[in-house]
Amino acid sequence: MNISLNWLRDYIDCQLSVPELEALLRRAGLEVAGVKKRGVSIEKVVVAQVLESVQHPNADRLSVCKVDDGSGQPRQIVCGAKNYKIGDKVPLALPGAVMPGDFKIKTGKLRGVESEGMMCSAKELQLAEDAEGLLILDASSVPGTELKNLFPVETVLELEITPNRSDWLSHVGVAREIGVFTGKVAQVPRPALPKSIDAAGHASIEDAGCSYYTLRKISGVNVAPSPQWLVDRLISIGLRPINNIVDITNYVLFELGQPLHAFDAGKITGGIRARGAIDSERFQALDGQEYHLPAGTLVIADDNGPVALAGVMGGEGSGVTESTNDILLESAIFDPSRVRRASRALGVFSDSSYRFERGVDPDGVATASARAVELILQLAGGTAASELLVAGSVPARHAVTLRHDRARALLGTELSDADIDAALQRTGLEKGLDGQWVIPGYRRELTREADLIEEVARVVGIEDIQSRAEGIFAQGSSADAAYDFTMALRRKLAGAGFHEARTGTLISANAADLIGPSVSLKNPFGDDQSRLRNSLIPGLLAAVVRNFDQGAKSIPLFEAGRIFNSEGEFQRLALVATGERQSPDWRGTDVRPWDAFDLSGLVVRIAGATIQPLTNPPTPFGAAAVAALNGKRIGIVGQLLPSVARSLGIDGALLAAEFDLDAWLAVDAREKTVSPLPKFPASSRDIAFIAQLALPYGEVQAAIASLNEPLLESVKLFDLFTDPKGEKIPAEKKSLAVSLTFRSPERTLTTEEVNAATDRIKAVLREKTGVDLRE
Amino acid sequence: MEQQVDALREEALALISAANSAALLEAARVKYLGKSGAVTALSEGMRNVPKEERPKIGKILNDLRAAVTGALEKSQARLLEAADSAAVAGLDLSLPGTFPAPGTLHPLTQLMDRAVQCFRRMGFAIADGPDIETEWHCFDALNTPPDHPARNEQDTFYLHDGRLLRSHTSSVQIRVMETTPPPVRIIAPGSAYRRDEVDATHLAQFTQMEGLYVAEKVTLGDLKGTLEFFFRELFGSGTDIQFRPHFFPFTEPSYEIDIRAEALGGEWMELAGCGMVDPAVFEAICKQRGDRVYDPDKVSGFAFGFGLERLAMNLSRIPDIRMLVENDLRFLNQF
Repeated sequence: MNISLNWLRDYIDCQLSVPELEALLRRAGLEVAGVKKRGVSIEKVVVAQVLESVQHPNADRLSVCKVDDGSGQPRQIVCGAKNYKIGDKVPLALPGAVMPGDFKIKTGKLRGVESEGMMCSAKELQLAEDAEGLLILDASSVPGTELKNLFPVETVLELEITPNRSDWLSHVGVAREIGVFTGKVAQVPRPALPKSIDAAGHASIEDAGCSYYTLRKISGVNVAPSPQWLVDRLISIGLRPINNIVDITNYVLFELGQPLHAFDAGKITGGIRARGAIDSERFQALDGQEYHLPAGTLVIADDNGPVALAGVMGGEGSGVTESTNDILLESAIFDPSRVRRASRALGVFSDSSYRFERGVDPDGVATASARAVELILQLAGGTAASELLVAGSVPARHAVTLRHDRARALLGTELSDADIDAALQRTGLEKGLDGQWVIPGYRRELTREADLIEEVARVVGIEDIQSRAEGIFAQGSSADAAYDFTMALRRKLAGAGFHEARTGTLISANAADLIGPSVSLKNPFGDDQSRLRNSLIPGLLAAVVRNFDQGAKSIPLFEAGRIFNSEGEFQRLALVATGERQSPDWRGTDVRPWDAFDLSGLVVRIAGATIQPLTNPPTPFGAAAVAALNGKRIGIVGQLLPSVARSLGIDGALLAAEFDLDAWLAVDAREKTVSPLPKFPASSRDIAFIAQLALPYGEVQAAIASLNEPLLESVKLFDLFTDPKGEKIPAEKKSLAVSLTFRSPERTLTTEEVNAATDRIKAVLREKTGVDLRE
Repeated sequence: MEQQVDALREEALALISAANSAALLEAARVKYLGKSGAVTALSEGMRNVPKEERPKIGKILNDLRAAVTGALEKSQARLLEAADSAAVAGLDLSLPGTFPAPGTLHPLTQLMDRAVQCFRRMGFAIADGPDIETEWHCFDALNTPPDHPARNEQDTFYLHDGRLLRSHTSSVQIRVMETTPPPVRIIAPGSAYRRDEVDATHLAQFTQMEGLYVAEKVTLGDLKGTLEFFFRELFGSGTDIQFRPHFFPFTEPSYEIDIRAEALGGEWMELAGCGMVDPAVFEAICKQRGDRVYDPDKVSGFAFGFGLERLAMNLSRIPDIRMLVENDLRFLNQF
């Protein structure tokens, strides 16, 4: 909403500077999004008429002009522009004028010819961003007139109006608000109101979407361009002037906030009716488009069909043109939600629909009509009917009860009853009986006690409310537990060298399909964001690709976040890694790529989980194992299919893991219990054996575990050797070496005991896995 | 005898002090104190010494042994010291360190955690709600009926079943009050969504921190005190805070909060929305719960919400909001 400061001053005595005014409006809840200045403020720039122009003797591109600056003495000006002709009126900066950029105009010689000033372009006067050639002024401009009078400085405030305050959508409304905070009274136009008579026979209401409808006939108008002052006002707030009648309706809309519509009375057949549209009824609007109206759309119709989309836009056939003689001026109230629905359904938005959607002042309907008639008679002539035709009725003002104690309790203040009453009175509310407040029509959104309390807070100002630092004790929630659990994992993973990523919930169908079924959006913004992520892995893979393309050598990433599927929303934690696990350094350390064991090892370390290989890993995993904690599955870890890596352009192994945080948290031991520290020394024995290449190490572990050897504390694989060339061991075999650690909590073990246990383990390995022990 | 001892001592001490390696020192030890060493041989000669001279000779020999042993120990210490300093002298600490880089927490996570810790100090617990919401939880219960000008379906992502991606985390207020009787004092960090073009200052998904306190006799002064404390805790005691009247359907009175802090670049920035819970919200909750524990005549409360992305951008001078979701390691590594 653009508000012109000059226009505003028609209604309120406001001498505040722009920053002061901005501060006042912000305090009132009106945000100033921008301030624009137009017009000329430079002294000694006048209108001049070009009398003659000849080629400069010494410069091809310059001309020497004689101009009339109103002084009676022709003045000689050297000029470089070409866009003017003899007789044109242009701005002339006289010697002594100070142009933008502190450039002072002086009499001087240009290439040997004297120039007594400078003719200006619109850009040089800062009237336009970019303008070629001289600014050619209106032919009616009088030489010698100061440009600052022709283009008075106009300050326009761009206000952001919250949807509750429709009264701020006009200059009078903003003036009234300034009055609330300055104590000055806004001077609102109060044209004499004509007598109202029943519109029966001329206009009728057939739909509850219109509660009040008025028409006033003005005959014999002269439709013509608007005078300059009106044009200037409309242009200053960004409107395009059309003709005096339309311009006046727009002017009153921005003055009082009441949308008006002028019909060409000669193009209206029969009586006017406010009614619901018949399904697919056609309507040719002023914007040149034809609309098929959904059934029930509120329209204004004559005997031939709709002539206006009520409160939204007039019809093309019944609009005011230069040939119009008689007009019917509509001023009415339409139901906000009906206007909103029509506007949305048809995609038509106008200054009128914007205001009706938010609600107009019922008390202002007749005033706005009378104000427009006053201006029409003044600017377009004609004769107004002495009566206002009226259908329906103006809703009565309502009253709201305020309990002073309640206001004090909610605001936390000790304002007196009188302070509270004074605040409400300043906003234009009238005190009734029994704590009742009568609400003016322009503030009809104040319907409840809470609304009045808000007004008190606004007028008094929150600065005067005492801050308080108190509160209750809060019990930790399950969300607190989940937050802490996740945050601890994040920290552990960061400590382990992983970088936390945050990827979006919305992913492409392709990315989601990599994992499986996903939930899709009905109205996505582009195809690449049409699904809700069903896993964190696709987003992390996109981050991997980005980093890979940027030349990152090692890419370890993780994310904790929500995933979505047909069963609901779930908290997940995922990791991906690719590239160098170990980078070379000056010691000569070898490069080692990330592999699946880095990730499975991390899972074991961080989760304390056990790893159980899967025979049929789910896509996109090529090899995967389940991570289980206390017998419950909490996640999956493994290597993605090489085809996935290839399709992403990634060389080398792409590792990933994903955990169900809800499941993990459910089985995670909240309190840790310690095992006693061993009192007696351990004994170790290393055993080595040759096994079939295909024998999983898990079977070796299982065979040893099957013994339930009480003295065996741990088994550690410390060597794994394969020889594809078959030189040292056959190619289809592998050599393994494990270190067995034995310990008793009660005593130091004897060599005999340890050897006997080792022999039992060797025997079970031979028996269950068929390995050849290397003695 | 005494002359012999003196000569031997002199020879031994010279040899020991000249020994510049552990091997030479050991050789010297063997030569004098070993089983067939010179000192040992002299001691064995004691047998032939007349009884009356034995104490004297014995003392001379003991002194000799002590002197040699002492010299050996001293040289040993000298050699060890030399070896020790040689061992560290060559350590060129100007060589680049090689410890593998630790990972990082995302800047939004770090900021969110700072905010969470601060609210926890003030006695707020964390609450949670779904990203996929019903229209009722996201709009209707928050006093934003279908035809309300503040309800903008065009900017909201919908699912085929009519549910939506929450356009603000205020829906968590409803989720909490539906299931928990007052008093409630919660914060809810989470994602919200807006169907909009992504550019340098906008994302379709953003991170918000929602807060709600409902109890008996909660006032606007509590709201003010809580948020002033919070922002000064987070951004320094010199932070300027302004509450500017605003409109939200679900609070009344409503305010936007502008803050100015050196940590945020020293310019005023619009940061948060807040207000006293609108009685219509309490009424919607009462209706849903089927009881009157949230009767607006019995309880009152405040709610607030703010976005974390813009804060993180100002705090860390991040020029483009998209950097927060691109996960470029060159960016992440700086946190």
